[in-house]
Amino acid sequence: MRGWRLAGIRRRPGPLVGTVAASAVAATLTVAAASIAGGHTTAPAGRLADASVVVAASTSLHVNVGSDGAQSIPLPAYRGVPAGLAGQLAHVPGVASATGESGFPNGVVRPGDVDLVAVKARPGVTPAQLATRIRATLAATGYTVATGAARGDVADLNAPIERSNGQSLGGALIPPIVLVSMFVLASTTALAVNLRRRRFALLRTIGASRGQVRRAILAELSLCGLAGGLAGLLPGAALGALGTHALAAHQMLPAGSSAWLSPWLLLIGVGSSVLVAGLSGQVAARRGSRTPPAQALRETTAERRWPNPVRVLLGLAAAGGSGALTVFTLTAKSPAGQLALALPLLLACMVAVALLGPLLVALAAGLARPLRVMGGPSARLALAAITAQPRRTASAVIPVAMAIALVGCVNFANTSIAHATTREAASTVTAGHVLSGPGLTPAALGQVSAQPGVRAAAGVTPVSMIAADPDLEPLYGEAVAGGPLSQVMNLGVTSGSLAHLQPGQIAVSALEAGSGQLHVHTGSRVTVWLPDGTPYRATVSAIYAHSLAAGDLLIPAAVAAGHTGTSPGFGQVLISGGRPATLTTLAAGHPGWHLTARNVANAQAAAGAAQNSFGNDLIFGVIGSLAAVSLVNTLVVVTRERRRAVRLLGRAGATRGQVVAVFGWHAAFVIVTGLLTGAAAGAVAMLAVTRAATGSWVPYIPLDQGAGLVLAVATLTVAAVMIPVRLMLRREPALS
Amino acid sequence: MTAETLIEAAPANEVPPRAPVELDQVTKRYGRRRSTVPALDRVSLSLAAGSFTAVLGVSGSGKSTLLQCAAGLERPTAGTVRLCGAELNKLPSRRQAALRRRRVGFVFQDLNLLPELTVAENIALPLRLDRRPARRPDIEQAAARVGLGGAQLRRRPGELSGGQQQRVAIARALVTRPDVIFADEPTGALDPHTATTMLQLLRAAPDGTTVVIVTHDPQVTRFCDQAVFLHAGRVDRVLPAPEPGLVARLLFDLGERAAAGPSAAPGSPA
Repeated sequence: MRGWRLAGIRRRPGPLVGTVAASAVAATLTVAAASIAGGHTTAPAGRLADASVVVAASTSLHVNVGSDGAQSIPLPAYRGVPAGLAGQLAHVPGVASATGESGFPNGVVRPGDVDLVAVKARPGVTPAQLATRIRATLAATGYTVATGAARGDVADLNAPIERSNGQSLGGALIPPIVLVSMFVLASTTALAVNLRRRRFALLRTIGASRGQVRRAILAELSLCGLAGGLAGLLPGAALGALGTHALAAHQMLPAGSSAWLSPWLLLIGVGSSVLVAGLSGQVAARRGSRTPPAQALRETTAERRWPNPVRVLLGLAAAGGSGALTVFTLTAKSPAGQLALALPLLLACMVAVALLGPLLVALAAGLARPLRVMGGPSARLALAAITAQPRRTASAVIPVAMAIALVGCVNFANTSIAHATTREAASTVTAGHVLSGPGLTPAALGQVSAQPGVRAAAGVTPVSMIAADPDLEPLYGEAVAGGPLSQVMNLGVTSGSLAHLQPGQIAVSALEAGSGQLHVHTGSRVTVWLPDGTPYRATVSAIYAHSLAAGDLLIPAAVAAGHTGTSPGFGQVLISGGRPATLTTLAAGHPGWHLTARNVANAQAAAGAAQNSFGNDLIFGVIGSLAAVSLVNTLVVVTRERRRAVRLLGRAGATRGQVVAVFGWHAAFVIVTGLLTGAAAGAVAMLAVTRAATGSWVPYIPLDQGAGLVLAVATLTVAAVMIPVRLMLRREPALS
Repeated sequence: MTAETLIEAAPANEVPPRAPVELDQVTKRYGRRRSTVPALDRVSLSLAAGSFTAVLGVSGSGKSTLLQCAAGLERPTAGTVRLCGAELNKLPSRRQAALRRRRVGFVFQDLNLLPELTVAENIALPLRLDRRPARRPDIEQAAARVGLGGAQLRRRPGELSGGQQQRVAIARALVTRPDVIFADEPTGALDPHTATTMLQLLRAAPDGTTVVIVTHDPQVTRFCDQAVFLHAGRVDRVLPAPEPGLVARLLFDLGERAAAGPSAAPGSPA
């Protein structure tokens, strides 16, 4: 005789299909994330392909940060090396030629410097040997000496930054995937165990110990995890490849990156899936094994009407914990701290909803009592079933609530941030006109300022800096010149003044100035690093509120000049006052210059701000697919388990339409209850994120997206309920 | 004659072998606080080794609860249950489970078999749970005792008739050579001929096996040594060597009393 423990999964896998499917989706997403995070992301050497060795000033910034010791971060611009270095390297034994190269993107523009030196080896000298000799010759730190594939990172300084971003995104996706997967699987396994309590009751009756039943359940779930992990491997690898390609296309990974393909992915996919299934099944297994046999036998026909008090107590504890976490999150001083607490807060709220699900269903059923009169016999029957089986109904409500909470929170936190960014972008520029185009040099700014009637003219250009806040991180801001800034931009200065930003000064956004970040105030001294790694130590002259569009730091353009990897000049010149005709004539005299009114420039900025959301879309897709699979899974399983009710209704004389209506009312109840509880659970975390990122309590929920989410969840719910019902009806002679 | 008098009737100078099933002042209430429902009320009962006892009563009289408490499937609210000499409320869950799989067999009206296991696997299940070898000849022998064999052993419960399923359940109950077999309405869904066959199979259990059957059917008592009648959770009477006609009348009388209310006075057997 083969093992009785796994006979259920071999021969009656129905209730466990959902667990396998949820495991497969979890494994798919984990493998995809790992495949992206561990991908091969070497940038092509490009025009340095013929060079054996490439020598550049260090392409990373190395700084001792507090007690954490040395940290390093890739630099976005070349520091440049003296042109004479090529001649020095030409004398190194084994060098055939050494050529100073310039003109790379983000290259230096200082006279006498080149971006890097490309060195060719004599025949018989390997690049590695030559690199060793060059390092010995330079005998100093501060240089990057690259051979082979590493040349690509020197040829394109964006490559390591993009790689770091992409890998961070892939790595950042794994914890929420594992956590959400555990949640999804916990509810799916709890249902799978609950639906087979007859089996476990019989086993307990004929002498199976609790441990035997618990081990049997865990063995089944582990096997489900194994099957799901194997099923998710190939789709995960394919998704990883697609994701890597898409990230590269969105400049979040170096061009030509490829996903990680390794036998280790098998271990990651299967291992995480088995682990998650086993861990998430612990509670269900414990519960399945502890129920006294006779009690389990009773509950198979008549479910306990009031939820288990222990479950209610745990639910109330989770709700209390969510409340405490909410207060903690909202009173956290740093936005980063608030953002870090958002996911635990969301999960705590969802756990509370899951545990209190039967109670919420009982309450909702009480509120829905008037429908028994208004909705006719079908509604009466549906409500009777809901009232009699609150736990089973809760199994259907919870995934709907979870889908709404998860997808709603992630999506509407994003839309709120995007909306705030767009709104700020649309209101930041207060200048009457905006001049854009190539060659907007300081001289051009002077030319504009000299136009009749011009009250203020400021040149602004985006610049990427590095700051220790407290870890080394890239920060985005603007280099500005001219002014007064207050007459061309509305940055919401909260302290200090932005009238004229002088060398030695810096303006910092309120979010970045907060504790846990730079932790500075007006008058503080702070060091930031320019794109080529040059340190800039300055006094904070102003703190401003509107940072979503303008970035977190403002520095004088004169300080940034020559350190940004771009020609000195501005992306835009913001002009207040002046005669439109004169300004138009000025622009027309310079090819490529465009003069636009404020509203047009703001609209363009707003459109630009709204675009760069690929990373968010990716996270949204991952969370959404997990939620959708969980929802469909659970509802199909729950509905199929009611075939006895369908049969009984048919035999009692119900028409096909009446049976469909009963389940329709049931689905409507599940949708409305799930929608309300899910919205409540998701709103808490969403508001915390919105508050942290935008400083505002007011979220932005686009009507079309809100309606779309509700419609999508409702459609999935109705389909997952009604399709199994239709199939069951076909098999019932009395109803077919 | 009541259960108490039956027990007291044993000669004082003899030390009878300990009864495998003993209930002493067992009470079982369902529900919580004010809404509790008494299903058993201070029931005392002792069933001798090798006896074949029918437990009868109208619906709701506490028959199934008595069986579940006696078998250790349900924990009494008060009182003591001894099964095969072991006091159940002093026995940890694990040892209760071991006791059930080694010394007790169960047959129910439904929920008898695991649908995913074959007939042979279902019969062997108690042995497997006890980590004992389930040798093919032993299983075939147990199946043959209830008239099953050949290809039937490879079938699943869903492919068998109700009567065949009950045979499998009896074979499973007998395979461990238990001291006690508890059967809850085992013939409730069977035709009279099949029901008679089932009872003959149970009656043919090895000497010394105590059989307790909960039933509504007076015909079952034809095979029984005694019939215990329950009314409103209490033992109403114990009838030795019951005769189905008398049992039917007593049951009818219990029905009348139940309809009249729980406090109605006992009627007299005709």
